[in-house]
Amino acid sequence: MGSILRKVALPIFLIGVAAIMGIAWAPALLCGTVDSMRDDLGTWYKWDLRGERPTLTVGNIRQYLEGSIEGQFAPAAHVRFGHSTAVAFAYVLWPLQFRITRDVLAVVGVVGFVSLFAMFAIWWERKVAARMQSRLGPMRVGGWHGWAQSLADGLKLLQKEDIFIEGADRPLFRMAAYVAFVPALGLFIALPFSAAWIARDLDVGLIFIFAMFGVGVLGVLIAGWASNNKWSMFGAMREACQMISYEIPLGFALLVPIMTVGTLRLTTIGDLQSGGFQTWLAFRNPFLLAAALLFFIAALASCKRAPFDLPEAESELVAGFHTEYSGFRWALFFFAEYAEMFAAGALAAILFFGAWHSPLPAAWGESWRHGPLWQQALHGVVFSGPLWLIGKGIFFVYVQMWLRWTLPRIRLDQVMYACVQVMLPLAMLVLLANTFWEWLVPSRSVLGMAANAVCTAVGAVAVLAIIGISIYGFVNRRRLVGTLVVKHLPGA
Amino acid sequence: MSDTDIHSQREAPPGTAPAAARELRTEEMLVNMGPQHPSTHGVLRLMLRTDGELILEAIPHIGYLHRCAEKIGENVTPVQFVPMTDRLDYLTGMNNNHGFSLAVEKLCGLEVPERGHYIRVIMCELNRIASHLVSFGCYGMDIGAFTPFLYGFREREYILDLFEATCGARLTYNYLTIGGASLDLPEGFVERLAWFLDYFEPKIDEYNNLLSFNYIFIKRTANVGVISAADALAYGLTGPCLRGSGVKWDLRRCVPYEIYDRFEFDIPVGVPGGNAGIPPEVVVGDSWSRYYVRMLEMKQSVRILRQCLKQLAGGEFRAKVPRTLKLPAGEVYLEVEGVRGQLGFLVVGENKPIPRRVKIRGPSFCNLCIVPHVCRQVLLADVPAIVGSIDVVMGEVDR
Amino acid sequence: MSGEVLAFYLLAALAAGSALGCVIATNIVRMAMCLLGTLGAVALLYFLLSANFLAVIQLVVYAGGTLILIVFGIMVTSRTYGEKLKPRTSEALIGTIVVLALFAGLVAILLRAPWTPVAPTEPSNSVAQIGQELLGTYLVPFELASVLLLAVMIGAAYLAQPAKKE
Repeated sequence: MGSILRKVALPIFLIGVAAIMGIAWAPALLCGTVDSMRDDLGTWYKWDLRGERPTLTVGNIRQYLEGSIEGQFAPAAHVRFGHSTAVAFAYVLWPLQFRITRDVLAVVGVVGFVSLFAMFAIWWERKVAARMQSRLGPMRVGGWHGWAQSLADGLKLLQKEDIFIEGADRPLFRMAAYVAFVPALGLFIALPFSAAWIARDLDVGLIFIFAMFGVGVLGVLIAGWASNNKWSMFGAMREACQMISYEIPLGFALLVPIMTVGTLRLTTIGDLQSGGFQTWLAFRNPFLLAAALLFFIAALASCKRAPFDLPEAESELVAGFHTEYSGFRWALFFFAEYAEMFAAGALAAILFFGAWHSPLPAAWGESWRHGPLWQQALHGVVFSGPLWLIGKGIFFVYVQMWLRWTLPRIRLDQVMYACVQVMLPLAMLVLLANTFWEWLVPSRSVLGMAANAVCTAVGAVAVLAIIGISIYGFVNRRRLVGTLVVKHLPGA
Repeated sequence: MSDTDIHSQREAPPGTAPAAARELRTEEMLVNMGPQHPSTHGVLRLMLRTDGELILEAIPHIGYLHRCAEKIGENVTPVQFVPMTDRLDYLTGMNNNHGFSLAVEKLCGLEVPERGHYIRVIMCELNRIASHLVSFGCYGMDIGAFTPFLYGFREREYILDLFEATCGARLTYNYLTIGGASLDLPEGFVERLAWFLDYFEPKIDEYNNLLSFNYIFIKRTANVGVISAADALAYGLTGPCLRGSGVKWDLRRCVPYEIYDRFEFDIPVGVPGGNAGIPPEVVVGDSWSRYYVRMLEMKQSVRILRQCLKQLAGGEFRAKVPRTLKLPAGEVYLEVEGVRGQLGFLVVGENKPIPRRVKIRGPSFCNLCIVPHVCRQVLLADVPAIVGSIDVVMGEVDR
Repeated sequence: MSGEVLAFYLLAALAAGSALGCVIATNIVRMAMCLLGTLGAVALLYFLLSANFLAVIQLVVYAGGTLILIVFGIMVTSRTYGEKLKPRTSEALIGTIVVLALFAGLVAILLRAPWTPVAPTEPSNSVAQIGQELLGTYLVPFELASVLLLAVMIGAAYLAQPAKKE
C-alpha cells in the first residue's frame, strides 16, 4: 500500500494542486456568470436602481439556463440545459448574487489560501535552504520530495501540549498569537489577486494593508511581554523598535507609486499596468525603481526576515518572542510570518511589478480569447491574473528566502542606523525626485521614454539574472556530504 | 533561573556601573545566557548584567561539564588515560592525545620512530583543520548565517572519514598514544589525503567569499571585542586569540616540538585593516581578526600536510613500549600548540605505573577568562560574536 | 433589525466594554490591550459609516503606532510591570466625579442633538476630498497642529536627554 502510494504520490500531488486551483476558480467563475445575468436583467427590464444590479430569482436563472431569456451574456444556444438540470443549477447560482454569500466564500478562500500557502512556503523554504547547503531537505513524508512534510508538522503541532509557563500572563499569552495572526489574515481582505478576485475592493486598500502590517506587531510585543521570559522580552522590544522605525521608510516608499498613479485603490493601480513589461510602474522612471528596492528592503524588515530577523535571533535570544510558545500557538506565529511574507511580495508586485498582469501586453491575448478552445485555455494560463500574482508573490518570497540563507544578521544599532540614516533620507529623496520627475517629465517625452526603456532593460536583466542564477544553482548544486568513505574504503 | 529571579533588579555594585547608566537611572536586568543557549557552545553560563540591550557585565559560570579528568588521570595508567584526553576538547582529540603522549614520553625518555612523528603531525594538522571548520561554521551561526555551518561540516566530514578509516572512530580517536600511533596508516590513506588537500584548499577561498568578506559579517565582527596585545598577554591568551591580537607566537615555531622544525609555514597574525585585502574596518585584536587567523591557519595546515606527505618515511609507527610502563620519579610539564591555544600537561611520576599527579592547562579555560574584560559596554548581539570568536569548548574548560 | 444596526450595537458594545476594561484593569499592559479593542472597534464603526479612510488611519496611527509606542514605553521605562495598579480612594473618588460629570454632559448633548438618518452611500474618493479640505479650507489649523507636534517632539527630546554634568 505504502509503496503504491509513494509511486503515485507525484500525480496525487499535481492533481491536488489542480483540484485546489479548480476549487478556487469555480466560485469566481460562477459569481461572474451571475453578475452578467444580473446585468442582462437590468437591461431587459430597463431597471436602474441607483446603478445597482437587480436581484435575480431562481426562476430568472432557470429561464436563463433553459434559454428562454436571451441577453448579451446569456449562454449560447448550444449549451441550453434541460429543465431539471437548469433548476439544480439555478439553486446553486442563486445564493451567489448576494454579498453575504460572496463574503463567506472570500473568507473561506482567504483562510484556505493563507494556510495552504504557509504550508507550501515552509516546505519550500526547507527545500531551498537544503539545496543551498548541500542537503536534501525533507524527503520522506508523502513520497515525492517530502511534499507532505508541512502537513505532518502541522498535525504534530496540533497535538502538542499547549504549555503555559509559570508566571506568564495567561490571557495575554493566549491572545498574543491571535493578535499576531488575525491582522496577517485580515490584510488579505484588501489584497487583490486580480481585478475580480478580491474580497473587498477598498478605496483605501493600500493603507489598510499597511495598517494591518502595523497592528500585527502588537501580537509579537504582547507575546514577548506575557511570556515572563527575558529573552522573549528582548525579542519584543527589538520587534517594536524595528517595526516603528521601518514603517516610516516603508510608508515613504509606498507614497512614490501612489503619487504617480493618484489612487489608493489597489485594483486601479493594478489595471494601470496592463500594457506589458514596460508599463510596470517600477520601470516607469529610475526613482520608482529605487522606491521598489526601498520597499522590498523595508518590507523585509517588517516581516522580520533575515538579515532583519532580530526579534527571533536564535543565536542571541534563543527564539526571541516565541521562546515560550509551543504547539499550535507557536504555529500561528509562523503562519502569520509566511502570510506577511507573501503579502509583502504580492504588494511589491501590485505596486511596482505589473500586479496580476503577465509581462505580455493584455492586447496580445485578445485574439486568443475568442479563438478555439485550446487558445482559450492558453489565454487562461498566460494571462491569468491570480496565477501571475501568486507567481510573482512566490518569486519575491523566494528572494527573501535566498537572502535569509545567505546573509548574516544585522545588529540592532546597525538596523536602526540603516533605517534612520540611510533608508529614511533615501526614501524622502526618492519621493521628492519622483515628484519633480512626474511634474516636469511627461511620460511621452523623449526623456520619459528613454528612462522607461533603460529601467525596463535594467529590470529585465535583474529578473532574468535572479531566475538564471537560481536555476544554475539548483542544477549545479554541490555534491552531498560524506561520500568519500563509500567510494574509497577497501571492500566497499 | 528560578521564577522569583525573573523580574529581579539588582542595584549595581558601587563603581562598576558606567557613569552614563547611573545618570539615566534605567533598570538593570540580570539575564542568564546559558547553560542551555544556542550560542554558548555547550554548557557555558554567562550571567549578563544588562541595561536594555547594553551589556554592563558578563560573568562566566563554568563547571557544568566537569568530569574529573585530572583525578581520573591519577588513577589509571597513562595508556589508559589517553582515551580520556579525547574528551577534553572533543573537537581536537588527536591534538590532546598527542600532547599527553609527548609529556609521558618526555618523562619516560621514550623515542618515537620517524614514521610515528609524521603520522602524529598529519593527524594533528588534520584535526586542526577539522576543528577550525567547526569553529568557522559555528561562528557563522553566531552571527546569524546558517549556510557556512553546513559548508564547514561538509568538508569536515571528509576529514572524519579519513580518521574513521585510520582508527575507526570519528570523534574520540584514542589513536596517537604513548610511543607513536596505535595503528599504522591504512591502505590508500596518502592518496586520499592528497586528494582531500587539493579539494579543500580552494574551499577556503569559497568560505572567505561567503562569510569572511561579507559586508554584514565584517560590520558585525570588525572592531568588536577588541583585545589589545598587552591584555592578551596579561590574561594568558594563547592560540588564535593571541595571534589575532597581533602577537606572533606559535609554539610549533617558537619552541619547536615534535618535528615541526622540518616544515615551512607562516604564523598568521591579526593585521590592521586596509592592508593587503583586509577590510578597512578591522582593528588588530577584534573578533574578525581572531576569526580570520583561523581561516589562514587552515591554509598553513594544508601547507604542512603537503610537506608531510612528501617527507613521509616508512618503518615503524610506534616505539617499543613496555606493557607496564613505569613512570620514573620526576615532574614534566609540556605544552603543545593545540587548536585553541597552548595545551599543557603536567605529569608527576613516582616510580609506579600510575602517575602521582596529572594536571592539564586547557587553552579554552584561559581564553575564556577574558570574556568579562571584553564583554563590557557592548550590545547583546555582540556577546555571541565575542564568545564565538574566542571559540571555547566547554569540555576542556570544565575538564 | 438590519445587519448594519446589529453590527453597530455589537461594535459599540465592544468599544464601550473594552474601554471599561481599560479603566478597571490593574495591569498596565492589559489596559493597553483593552485599548486595542476600543480602537479596533471604533475603526470598524468608521468602516460601517463608510468613512474608510478615517478607519484605516485610525488603525495605522492609533492601533499600529501610538499603542505600540505606549506598550513599548511601558516595557522600557516602567518599574511596575509585575505590580498591580490600585488607585487610592481619593483618586477613585475624584475620577468618578469627573467621569460622571462628563457622562452627564454627553447625555445632555445627545438628547438635544437632532438625529437625521442618512442613507448609506458608497464612499466616493474620500481621500482626495480629505486632502483638499486639509490643505485648503483647514490649512491653518492643520499647520498649527503640526507646529504643536513639533513643539512636543522638541520637548520630549529635551526631557529625554541625560542630565548634563556640571
